[in-house]
Amino acid sequence: MTAMLEVEKLEQKFDVSGGLLDRLSFSGGRILSPRRVVQAVNGVSFDVQQGEVLALVGESGCGKSTVAKTIARIHNPTGGTIRIDGQEVQGLSDRELLPVRSKMQMIFQDPYASLNPRQRVRDIVAEPLLEQTGNRAEARDKTEALLARVGLNAEHAGRYPHQFSGGQRQRIGIARALSVNPRLIIADEPVSALDVSIQAQILNLMMDLRDEFGLAYLFISHDLSVVHHIADRVAVMYLGFMVETAPRDTLFAMPRHPYTRALLSAAPTLDPAKKARQIELTGEVPSALSLPSGCCFRTRCPFAWDRCAAERPALRDTGDGQQVACHLIDEPERDKP
Amino acid sequence: MKDMTETLLRVDDLRTHFHTFAGTVKAVDGVSFSLAKGEIMGLVGESGGGKSVVGFSILGLIDSPGRIESGQILFDGEDLAKASEDRMHKIRGKEIAMIFQDPMTSLNPLHPIGRQMDEMLRLHTDLDARGRRARCIRMLEDVGISQAEDRLDSYPHQFSGGMRQRVVIAIAMLAEPRLIVADEPTTALDVTIQAQILKLIRRQVREHGASMILVTHDLAVVAEMADHITVLYCGKVVERGPTRQVIDDPRHPYTAGLIASIPDPSDRKHRLDQIPGAVPDIRKLPRGCNFRDRCPRAQALCAEREPDLETQEPGRSAACHFPVEGGGT
Repeated sequence: MTAMLEVEKLEQKFDVSGGLLDRLSFSGGRILSPRRVVQAVNGVSFDVQQGEVLALVGESGCGKSTVAKTIARIHNPTGGTIRIDGQEVQGLSDRELLPVRSKMQMIFQDPYASLNPRQRVRDIVAEPLLEQTGNRAEARDKTEALLARVGLNAEHAGRYPHQFSGGQRQRIGIARALSVNPRLIIADEPVSALDVSIQAQILNLMMDLRDEFGLAYLFISHDLSVVHHIADRVAVMYLGFMVETAPRDTLFAMPRHPYTRALLSAAPTLDPAKKARQIELTGEVPSALSLPSGCCFRTRCPFAWDRCAAERPALRDTGDGQQVACHLIDEPERDKP
Repeated sequence: MKDMTETLLRVDDLRTHFHTFAGTVKAVDGVSFSLAKGEIMGLVGESGGGKSVVGFSILGLIDSPGRIESGQILFDGEDLAKASEDRMHKIRGKEIAMIFQDPMTSLNPLHPIGRQMDEMLRLHTDLDARGRRARCIRMLEDVGISQAEDRLDSYPHQFSGGMRQRVVIAIAMLAEPRLIVADEPTTALDVTIQAQILKLIRRQVREHGASMILVTHDLAVVAEMADHITVLYCGKVVERGPTRQVIDDPRHPYTAGLIASIPDPSDRKHRLDQIPGAVPDIRKLPRGCNFRDRCPRAQALCAEREPDLETQEPGRSAACHFPVEGGGT
């Protein structure tokens, strides 16, 4: 069985130098024009099986949304391979991508910005299907069925996005994504703009749809309690690197990377008494314009020693489907405060 | 125990309405609560619940078309709802400080932070320039900003989001206010930074013996920070009580629904409990209880008569005809 999505050594760099005049600087009697490159994603590999939910977690600037947008080919990757249902998609033209897009659709974070305010709901939902097939009658029938499936009714079809609440707009976005019968949904923070009571409705809907259509999700989120609820497997990113991946229960019960442990202990919970106070981080995430040498996390890691600055740890299997990129795996005796 | 502590703030039947062309929005509609000296109160609810408007009302920051229609805001005995703008100038910053969600909206991008901190002390203390500078440096060090003296000359854009929020907290604490209104102070921050900032806020509030109203949508943040919780729905208080009791044993079905809809890592269910429907249009509230259309316990009475906020047991109250029975959910 081929995986729904395979990503290998994915790299995404953005040149933010601007024009030549922006770059010019004068130093030591010489004119320089250095380039400034944001290294947003640095050799990330993972896969998503059919019907599986993989959650990609991390804080702002860790590259998780860039990974999502690169897989959805909103960006073209600067390195690595992306295979969707076995087919390599990096470098394909828009025309060549069209059949791939019927297998893979995206749901966005901001339900206000991701719907065209001048289109009626029925046109928004039908558009991907018309793009694929051009069959108007089929698109109309399908749109009605989809709107009903996501919990909107027929009279909503003629309205404009501004007439809906945030939760309803996210339902429209989901209906649009489902219109082409995709098998992989890339969901970039789909519930973080919603109130908790609405968030629960959307999460339940997404899980019902997965069971019904056998969907695989790449679910991007910063909210660990949501991730714990929805994910089969979890991948943790930091500064454009993958630092740990594991099945959900393993990751939450036995996180091994110091960053994962810090993340879990920082998340506020309803019952603070039950919380494991493990690692408290100081300082902030370094700039992706100039990555630290060696391990990406060493500037904030309470365990870091000289090896961490000299050598970048590779992501390695530690058994039970868990992979960790940390030198502590070799030297567990250093794992104490 | 609560009766023995001194009350710093008492809000009594506060009504703040906005008169728009589309109708009157009763954003805050008869809210009452009291806050003891040194207490941290969480004011929670979803978007449109009116929680921010309560905070703005206390600081006298309601602009047209909004207006405080009636009610009292007794701050140490003085009714702020009737205070003049001149008087409020003296109170804001000195007696009551506010921390906003987005630090960029409360810092002036055109001035170095040292100047913005200095302004606070110039307005509210009689320290000389040297004394003010020393106080600013000490305050920045206190909130965990290293090389404080050099940083006084930095502009807001030269700080990261978490650092900016530290500066905002430093400014808020400078004049040693007795009440801090913090409106979603960590919502824009990442979780590891949020943990640092929450810890800092709590330490600052406790060390200075101040009281705080923490306005947030995040019950988990409240659970870690607050002594008491007040839950708002459609501009009204629906439940109030000590934090632990409200979270472990909510009485109002809305509170119970909110808590149940947060995924609980220690008790994973296939489906989350959800509150059906959405918050009603605040200009066209239903007759009777505002929550009845979404409530699993609603009965005929709920459509006829709006429930009053009734004391369930000492220190706890809920506005419901058919409150959830004690013993947990």
